[in-house]
Amino acid sequence: MSSIIEVKDLSFAYAPHSRILEDVSFDVGAGAFLSVAGPNGAGKTTLLNLLCGLLGPQAGSIMIDTAPIQSYSARRLAQKIAVVRQEFVPVFDFTVVEVVSMARTPYLGTFGFDGKIDRDAINQALEATDTAQFARRSLRSLSGGERQRVFIARALAQNTAIMLLDEPTSFLDLKHQVGIYDLLKAAQLEKGKTIVAITHDINLAAQYCDQILLLTGRKPPMQGRENGAQNHPSYLIGKAKDIFSPEQIEKVFGVRVFAGKVGKENFFIPLGRFAKDSGQASIS
Amino acid sequence: MAQVLTARNLAIRVLLCLAVLAVVMCVCALVGSQKISLKKVFAGPGRSPGENIDYEILVGIRLPRVVLAALVGAALACSGVVLQAILRNPLADPYILGISSGAGLGVIIAVISGITWSFCGGSPLSVFAFAGALATVWLVWFVGHFTGKAQVTSLLLAGVVINAFFSAVIMFLTSIARSDQVYSTIFWLMGNITEKNLSVLVVSAGCILAGTIGLFGVSQRLNILSLGEQEAKGLGVDTAKIQIVAFALAAFITAIAVSLSGLVGFVGLVVPHGVRLVAGPDHRQLLPISAIIGGAFLVAADTLARMIVSPAQLPVGVITAIAGGPFFLVLLARYSRKISWLK
Repeated sequence: MSSIIEVKDLSFAYAPHSRILEDVSFDVGAGAFLSVAGPNGAGKTTLLNLLCGLLGPQAGSIMIDTAPIQSYSARRLAQKIAVVRQEFVPVFDFTVVEVVSMARTPYLGTFGFDGKIDRDAINQALEATDTAQFARRSLRSLSGGERQRVFIARALAQNTAIMLLDEPTSFLDLKHQVGIYDLLKAAQLEKGKTIVAITHDINLAAQYCDQILLLTGRKPPMQGRENGAQNHPSYLIGKAKDIFSPEQIEKVFGVRVFAGKVGKENFFIPLGRFAKDSGQASIS
Repeated sequence: MAQVLTARNLAIRVLLCLAVLAVVMCVCALVGSQKISLKKVFAGPGRSPGENIDYEILVGIRLPRVVLAALVGAALACSGVVLQAILRNPLADPYILGISSGAGLGVIIAVISGITWSFCGGSPLSVFAFAGALATVWLVWFVGHFTGKAQVTSLLLAGVVINAFFSAVIMFLTSIARSDQVYSTIFWLMGNITEKNLSVLVVSAGCILAGTIGLFGVSQRLNILSLGEQEAKGLGVDTAKIQIVAFALAAFITAIAVSLSGLVGFVGLVVPHGVRLVAGPDHRQLLPISAIIGGAFLVAADTLARMIVSPAQLPVGVITAIAGGPFFLVLLARYSRKISWLK
């Protein structure tokens, strides 16, 4: 599987001497599903903003489809990468179909009217996400789960090889969380999309994703960086079963977890100080 | 299947609105303190001046005035739409970024100093209002970009501060001016459609039409920009370029409108909201329809202004505020479920 995203020695800092990402390297194969996990402040959204070209790398490189990200114009990059950010409501009261049709912006001419290809892409995206039924309704009138489906429809209508998502299931109930991940998996398997999704739900990530990138939020000490980098990695990448272990989760997130198995899949339940039976809970 | 706005649908709606505007302009040109006979008008100008008064009143006075009101209304409504989109603020109007105080300052300087310069047939007040408006907008843009990366908030703050500062200067100059100078300034500040010569009208019409077409060219991008800068960049929109183009064109047509008619309030706020409530927020449709309805609204308001205390005339700004407020409230009550920021 050839790589469609290649990140090499990527570093970024918002302030001098305070790097949020340090020497991060990973590849994402075409058609793969990568989940980015990690504690708050570990740099997940910063990484997403770097991958979509909103921020420029300060060190290292990002290659999209073998070309440096900086070589893309904003319009060409939007034809390669679609971004779904955390749920928001526009100031003006656009309908669902108006929001989804905005996805065609990178393909439109000066006066911005859709052609047949655009309308087909919009209708297909609405059907794939089961949002055609409320296409004429105001986005504001929808529930959080329905709105998130509309934003995924917009990303599908953008017809890009890559989809980046920032916590697509935050604020959603269990049914809608699973619904969103089902949609993303279908987009990966049926349409060959490469998906990079930031998530706080390590169980869903483990269940749906091919690879996990765990940003640990730790930085190697300045002294003896060679050894430090091994003992204090700023990130880990691999399959979920290799990345997520009770010890690793406790080390990275600073919380004890109960670990269990459903079939071959691990699952984890975080245990707070007041969790019922937390005193007796043991790592299985 | 879901319908999106097509060029054909838009063309039909725009033509219908243009027909409404044409009817409003014709009716308003025919009514006034002096009754006009259409039969006499169609008879032509006559061989000597004064031979056909009806023709002269209609063609020489009322039609230019109606066209002027339509131009000013269109420019203000268009500018209101654009500023609400790029500032992502439903309370934005054409004057929010200091144009009113800049133009006002220009006018009071022209009045106090007694300057008699004119340009392209424009009066000194018009020239100074235009220059003051554009200079202030440039200052607001410069300060807004100089002070912060959160451009929209910085622009709004810069606009508010500069507006307040220039208003203080206007108050100071008013307090030291003679009473006749104060009267001319206040009359101008209230907004007033008065007859202009043909060259001013033609040049202004050309500029406002060009500006409106330019804004229509970025109207689809305004939809995207109103979602926020991150979203817009994600959809491949060069946000900085679109903001500069939209802001400069909106400021330009507002400055022309202000130089023609003073500070006519309410049109730039009420018309975009009213049209948005009925036709939706898609700027490809909102912008041209607001321009046409804004024109029709101001033509009607100006006709009322010259008829209510006929043969004297009220400043049109008084009518736009008095008529626009209740009209907007009716729309608000009827369509409030559509307005996202009220929920």
